[in-house]
Amino acid sequence: MRFQPILRRAFLVMAVAAATSLAVSVPAQANPAEDYVQGNINKGLAVLNNKQLSTEQRRSQFEGFLLGLTDMKRIADFTLGQYRRTANPADLAAFEGAFQNYATAVYQSYFSKYAGQTLKVTGSQARTLDDFIVATQLIDPGDHSGQEPLEVDFRVRTDTGKPVVVDFSVAGIWLALEERDQFTAFLGQNNGNIPMLVSHLAELAKQFRNN
Amino acid sequence: MGRGRTLAVLLCGLVLTACATTPPTPEMAANNDPYEPTNREMLQINGKIDRYFVVPTVAVYFVLVPDSGRRAVHRFLENLTLPTTLVNDLLEGQATRGGQTAARFAINTTIGLGGFLDPAGRMKIPDHGADFGVTLGAWGVDEGPYMVLPFLGPSNPRDAFGLAVDVGLDPTNYIPFKQHIWWGAGRYYFTVLDLRGQTFQTVQTIQRSSIDYYSALRSFYRQLRANAVRAVRPQKPQDLPDF
Repeated sequence: MRFQPILRRAFLVMAVAAATSLAVSVPAQANPAEDYVQGNINKGLAVLNNKQLSTEQRRSQFEGFLLGLTDMKRIADFTLGQYRRTANPADLAAFEGAFQNYATAVYQSYFSKYAGQTLKVTGSQARTLDDFIVATQLIDPGDHSGQEPLEVDFRVRTDTGKPVVVDFSVAGIWLALEERDQFTAFLGQNNGNIPMLVSHLAELAKQFRNN
Repeated sequence: MGRGRTLAVLLCGLVLTACATTPPTPEMAANNDPYEPTNREMLQINGKIDRYFVVPTVAVYFVLVPDSGRRAVHRFLENLTLPTTLVNDLLEGQATRGGQTAARFAINTTIGLGGFLDPAGRMKIPDHGADFGVTLGAWGVDEGPYMVLPFLGPSNPRDAFGLAVDVGLDPTNYIPFKQHIWWGAGRYYFTVLDLRGQTFQTVQTIQRSSIDYYSALRSFYRQLRANAVRAVRPQKPQDLPDF
């Protein structure tokens, strides 16, 4: 089956879906959701390509960019699944902070791998009046294998009045769905212990930042 | 070897069913993973086989065979799967994709020296995969509960049955001299080396970055397979939760 060959490219690109050293081509007629994705990718591009920034400055600015693009709290709460309902406010706040730290550390650790590639907005689909999926393709000019370009989708919500990205999909894998599966499985195996999950996320974030 | 793989897949399903003596928890049922305890154990067993046998063998393969050689082996093995891909393209009603598959097979088998070269790729003829599990999904067959098969890894009843059918569809299993065990064993051995070599860093990354490797792998597998079905049935809407 084709699971493993695609998985290699899919996971490595996943963290880059928010922003990387990518250039974006503009379709002839874009809509607001597409404009939002395209415009913010350009901001991320500017941060990551700025050679005058130190590593720490680039990380800090990239984190600020990512927080502006996405609704991390909303994504964090979603990934807790059914445990969100029974979590006490202190545990919930700790988890949201740990999730933000973890997510940005994971994405930052891989952004450099895709320098020179191109993200092309190919269209969008309105699931509801305030829920859009913006489709893009990741085009590697050095890839002559004849394989179709990798598809990267952004899920954009506008229900709070301001557009935010709530999830990314690479080759069909939605990151927030995968994180929810992981976190709820972990909590299921550990009696719903959110502080333990927070501790694991902090440790993982530290490992990624140190690499 | 082809019949052996078919039997192995069918037996794995029976073993898993027999092992599911513990009633599933509500969470397992909600995750459509009633065999989760058995699946987790199987993943650990597969992991040990991988760590102590497959990975060291792949390391030797990487040392002995240069990158150009490994890529040629990969292309050859991929080319061998194209007859099965073509049958599935046609069963899915995908005439365009079937045409691309037929063209790639014809060109790469002849000009491409049996598939070691990829002139079809240079001609920009797109590549894609197709298997009977996806075909069944395109026909509306539900995937069923998640399973981790011995050696074969993530699966489900639909895909496991599909794999057995694909083995039966593979024409190389019916060419008389190729039924010799060395052909089948050699092909399977190099397929494992090729796949594992390509996915080594990815699997390592997932293991490093995941809180729960088992469920991360489960999610990856399910979403990839659903995406493969959607690729041949694009009118089927994505089932995404509201958040």
